[in-house]
Amino acid sequence: MQHDAKSSSHAGLNVAVLVTVGRHPVTARARRADQDARAVEMALSLNDAAVRLVHAGGNGDDNEEALRGYLGMGIGEINLIKQASSADVVPALVTSLRDMAPQLVLTGTRAETGEGSGLVPYLLAEALGWPVISGLAQVESIEQGVATVLQALPRGKRRRLRVRLPAIATVDSSAPAARQSAFGPARRGELAARACASVPDELQEQWHVQPARKRPKRLKIVKSASARDRFKAAAAKADSGSGQLLSDVSPEQGAEAIFNLLKEEGVLR
Amino acid sequence: MSDIIRRDPRKEWIARNRLHPEHLEVLAELGGGASPSEWTGPSGLTRRNPHAVGFIGPNGIKRIDRSGAQQAANQPGSRQAQPKDTRRRVEIEAPAFMVAVVPDLSGGRLSSHDRDLLGLARQLADADPERPGAVLAIVFGTHKETTFGEAGVDRLLEVQGDAFSGYLPETRIAALQSVEREMAPHYWLLPDSSLGGGELGRRLAVRLGERPATQVWQVEADADTDTGWRCTARGAAGTTDIARAMPRVVLALAECAEPVSETRHAAQPVELAQALPEVLGRIEDMGEVAVDPASVSLAEAEFILSAGNGVKDWDGYHHAAQVLGATKGASRVAVDDGFMPRDRQVGATGTWVSARVYVAVGISGAIQHLQGIQSCEKVVAINLDEGCDMIKRADLSVIGDASEILAALVARIERYREEQQENRDAA
Amino acid sequence: MLDTLLPILFFSALALAAIGAVRRVRLWRQGRPSPVPLMRGLAAMPRRYLVDLHHVVARDKRMSNTHVATAGGFVLAALLAIVVHGFGLDSAVLAWALLAATTCMFVGSLFVAKRRRNPPPRLSKGPWMRLPKSLIAFSLGVFLVTLPTAGILPEDAGSWVLALVLTGVVAWGLGELFFGMTWGGPMKHAFAGALHLAFHRRPERFSDKQGGEGRSTGLKALRLEDPKAKLGVEKPADFTWNQLLGFDACVQCGRCEAMCPAFAAGQPLNPKKLIQDMVVGMAGGSDARYAGSPYPGKPVGEHAGEPHGPIVARQGTALVDAETLWSCTTCRACVEECPMMIEHVDAIVDMRRFLTLEHGNTPNKGAEVLDNLIATDNPGGFDPGSRMHWAADLNLPLMADKRDAEVLLWLGDGVFDMRNQRTLRALVSVLRAAQVDFAVLGNEERDSGDVARRLGDEATFQTLAKRNIATLGQYRFARIVTCDPHSFHVLKNEYGELGGNYEVFHHSTYLNDLLENGKLSLKAWKGGLVTYHDPCYLGRYNGEYEAPRSVLKALGIEVEEMARSGYRSRCCGGGGGAPITDIPGKQRIPDMRMNDVRETGAELVAVGCPQCTAMLEGVVAPRAEIKDIAELVADALVIDATAEQGTSQDEATGKARRTAEEMTP
Repeated sequence: MQHDAKSSSHAGLNVAVLVTVGRHPVTARARRADQDARAVEMALSLNDAAVRLVHAGGNGDDNEEALRGYLGMGIGEINLIKQASSADVVPALVTSLRDMAPQLVLTGTRAETGEGSGLVPYLLAEALGWPVISGLAQVESIEQGVATVLQALPRGKRRRLRVRLPAIATVDSSAPAARQSAFGPARRGELAARACASVPDELQEQWHVQPARKRPKRLKIVKSASARDRFKAAAAKADSGSGQLLSDVSPEQGAEAIFNLLKEEGVLR
Repeated sequence: MSDIIRRDPRKEWIARNRLHPEHLEVLAELGGGASPSEWTGPSGLTRRNPHAVGFIGPNGIKRIDRSGAQQAANQPGSRQAQPKDTRRRVEIEAPAFMVAVVPDLSGGRLSSHDRDLLGLARQLADADPERPGAVLAIVFGTHKETTFGEAGVDRLLEVQGDAFSGYLPETRIAALQSVEREMAPHYWLLPDSSLGGGELGRRLAVRLGERPATQVWQVEADADTDTGWRCTARGAAGTTDIARAMPRVVLALAECAEPVSETRHAAQPVELAQALPEVLGRIEDMGEVAVDPASVSLAEAEFILSAGNGVKDWDGYHHAAQVLGATKGASRVAVDDGFMPRDRQVGATGTWVSARVYVAVGISGAIQHLQGIQSCEKVVAINLDEGCDMIKRADLSVIGDASEILAALVARIERYREEQQENRDAA
Repeated sequence: MLDTLLPILFFSALALAAIGAVRRVRLWRQGRPSPVPLMRGLAAMPRRYLVDLHHVVARDKRMSNTHVATAGGFVLAALLAIVVHGFGLDSAVLAWALLAATTCMFVGSLFVAKRRRNPPPRLSKGPWMRLPKSLIAFSLGVFLVTLPTAGILPEDAGSWVLALVLTGVVAWGLGELFFGMTWGGPMKHAFAGALHLAFHRRPERFSDKQGGEGRSTGLKALRLEDPKAKLGVEKPADFTWNQLLGFDACVQCGRCEAMCPAFAAGQPLNPKKLIQDMVVGMAGGSDARYAGSPYPGKPVGEHAGEPHGPIVARQGTALVDAETLWSCTTCRACVEECPMMIEHVDAIVDMRRFLTLEHGNTPNKGAEVLDNLIATDNPGGFDPGSRMHWAADLNLPLMADKRDAEVLLWLGDGVFDMRNQRTLRALVSVLRAAQVDFAVLGNEERDSGDVARRLGDEATFQTLAKRNIATLGQYRFARIVTCDPHSFHVLKNEYGELGGNYEVFHHSTYLNDLLENGKLSLKAWKGGLVTYHDPCYLGRYNGEYEAPRSVLKALGIEVEEMARSGYRSRCCGGGGGAPITDIPGKQRIPDMRMNDVRETGAELVAVGCPQCTAMLEGVVAPRAEIKDIAELVADALVIDATAEQGTSQDEATGKARRTAEEMTP
């Protein structure tokens, strides 16, 4: 419907967004991947950009449903590069991006399924000879083949970068949240499938994959010369349980207690 | 005074022998002037003070020690348990191989993540006592770290120069490539962190043409693999474990290994033989941009100062949030009353937060609110009402006037910042 | 002279009215087709008017009588006047009848005029202010011109000047009442209203001759089969034709406005203005001529639309702002109160459907809630496998094990809410005390789809509903009992269209049955004053006002009714996804409701809905305590340790009750 207008109005900037099939963290249902959806959102919010979505991979029923989630954001079609499920998608993506010749390629930092190593953007950049930047939070401007962007740093900090196009940028969870995926456009959008030779990923077949185990919590090991101290540390009750209650204290004492906790937790800069 | 204990076996023997004529004098001397428990009274009778016998043990129970050892320990000259560096000094003269580590050095110091990684590097280097490897740390730009040796670094390569002070991944990769050429490390270990190591490691792996293991959290010896090591890595957004042979380049998570604690290493400086190549970067660092912590979204925030119905001094609250560098949150009432915007509401009907520290100021803790802070690690409550539900949930509760306590906290933190500033200047 | 002028006047007015009617009908026919039994509808119309419509109008006795006099007088007078003056039938009997009719109408008009002297704010002004004068003009004019016909005055009484003046007065009356009826004057309500009653899109809502009370409150399903079809209503012409006709029937009495909780809270919604905006959109133009209360905070005259233009603009303004549509709590207070039987909630949800399904523009937390419903089958995004964690100690029988039970206890999404878990525990302990054979679906249960549907996400609703229906289809049970009126309504009234027909009970109804059958023994109530809050989805949606009150009575509680209770109960603000879309107003709806409670002086509000509990408990203290009916019954349970209840099941009951009590602060 109205959505189609946006992707068909060809203008200055050509943006490709690489999207994958995500996986809900609680129920493991297929969905649009969170970071990829944020990348799409970022592309759609660029002025006068022609946005193309690219997905390389298999296309089962579940996958199609999830990919349609991106279409529901107001995209007319997704270029679907059909690959065997165990394939290494990088060669196919390189070929496809060479053909498409976008100025900017956006993608999530890491896939929510498979290896999820976050290497694809770097491999693509190396193969294409383009610069790659990570953790994009915002594109400030794109002028004369140079993009000024903000990179997200931990604790909500930002760094301004200028990068020469064409470039690849990864988007992580600090980028603006993706818009809602609407059912109507999602159902009407096209999945333009194209076959491409699959290069099998042989190394991966030797791996042993199983559901994540909970990581053991690190024990506080006290290295003390005295046996008594070591015994005390080992036998000490964990200092959890009911909280500490300070009543009838002066504001300063209370503040001191809070301050100590904040310092212990390392939230004070 | 000398630290060496000089024992006098004769005096100790006298102290043990209550029948010795000099017993009391010796006891008084050994006891450091403490009143003796026995003496001859004016009428010639022996008087005894049973309360003066013995000492209070560490568990609060009175102990009577007739061995005389206690008295000896109480000697005025006796040494307090001073921390002595008991670490074994290890020098590796001719390493069989190198394990290269590129620590994040966030804030100019080794982070705990870096130390864990160096611990892992030590594991790899020391696996075969016959052929010890050396841990090579590669450090960019200026730093304030002085304990590389304690952290387990044998060789330290400091890549200096203005070119390495900002975000210049391309230049850094070129430097690491030079290291690869000249020293050919056996392994490359980088922290898989968002502070830079994760990105640098991926760039390096791709440039070296190695397929790295990412998000590694466990490394075990395994003779069946080519490298002799097997690693377990998180895959699929942390929902799967991938067990695989350990490759040459490893990006490891925090707590992947125990940090080095028993040995001390040389941290011997090394240099590259050739000058670093000039790199024409296509990425230009324009510097950091100031961001208001208040604009950080609640769901992401790790430190939240949340205000509720009990807050009367709103200016004071906003000031405190700014000084603490905390993200602002609010209870539903504070939002409804218009003191805080809607997107700041915490709770089942607002945002579910997962902060490391959640400070609830004047929030009594409606059940919806408590549900919204379920996954917070530490909750601090500042409230007037001792019986409210928030106090029951809190790890630390301070009863009192919110504005006074916040003001005191602000003062305390400002003092702390000043002290830190002085320390930094002095260092 | 009158003999020649009057027929000309009457017939030209009638002709103009006919032309106007054709034009009006063409406006309505811009809407989508909707099959309606035309003849049967027309035949049912008088009954619908006289019984159902007047049932609503008669809530205001004075206005009802005024309307009977004026409208009855007018209909009779108009028919007779056409015969007597139009066709010039010289019958004294008819003339006398006409005189009586106009007198009756005149008296009614005086009352109309009286009300218009100091009209309440809910009434529209503008052209409506001249209506009583026009009514008087018509009744008086026709009365006077009829006097000669009736033989009271000589044929040639008065001069030609008087005749001209009289003709003018009659023309004025005719203009308003005949011409204005079809050309958009205030009298349009009579013409459109009559047809609206005949062709109403919910014929089930009218009572039948057997005395059965009509009720039709479930939303109509959107057909999702055609992937190319537009979903929901984007422009006025996307409504069905009889919906458009319904909007045109609005008489702008403002009863909906007076009842609307969002309007009272200062949120930008006024049901009357919304319907008028739809009329503006249907004909094209701006709302500048609207003469009633605006949407709070939105001045009149800034919005305009056309039949084939969007109702809600993506950017800027069109006919209506999105936040107006999202302010609605779907409490149906407006529909319940509307004398013209207009379906406001249907229209709002139709427009929301477009915003959600086509624009992807559900405001605030709406998108997140819908994503959660899709991914986790509950609005909170909780692990669906943790649905029964609250009842880990209760050992609830699962349908999957039993396969067959008397009662299927539908728990709803309240299982994830710590407050509602107390209610559920109480309900379980009561069911056990009454030795009801029940079972729960456990982790197989999903959200009923209520929130998704009210937020306009029909696709998610239908997916959830179909999967729930498939799950329910595996088991045998006599009835479903739930303590969530929203699930109750959806299961009872909205699953049928998708193939799920069940006997569903709200827990208050079921508890009442248990009490009436002597299955429970209760100790006497010792607390203070209690009032009862009617949940919209139990009361207005399903007509259940009595059962909760009789349960309270059985507890020995004398309910102190709030000023607005029963069918006029004020919404808690929790319905229709309103807490999720969270449109700001001047005050909060639950605060207003707790003020209603405060006025009764009650110390405790009995409720029967998890949403109401959550909303009302969100009001800052000091306020009355809020307890679900199930909790009140559980607290008053007397369990005979003797008798036949020595089984292990009852030990569990006692334990459950203790736990419930311990959890109560």
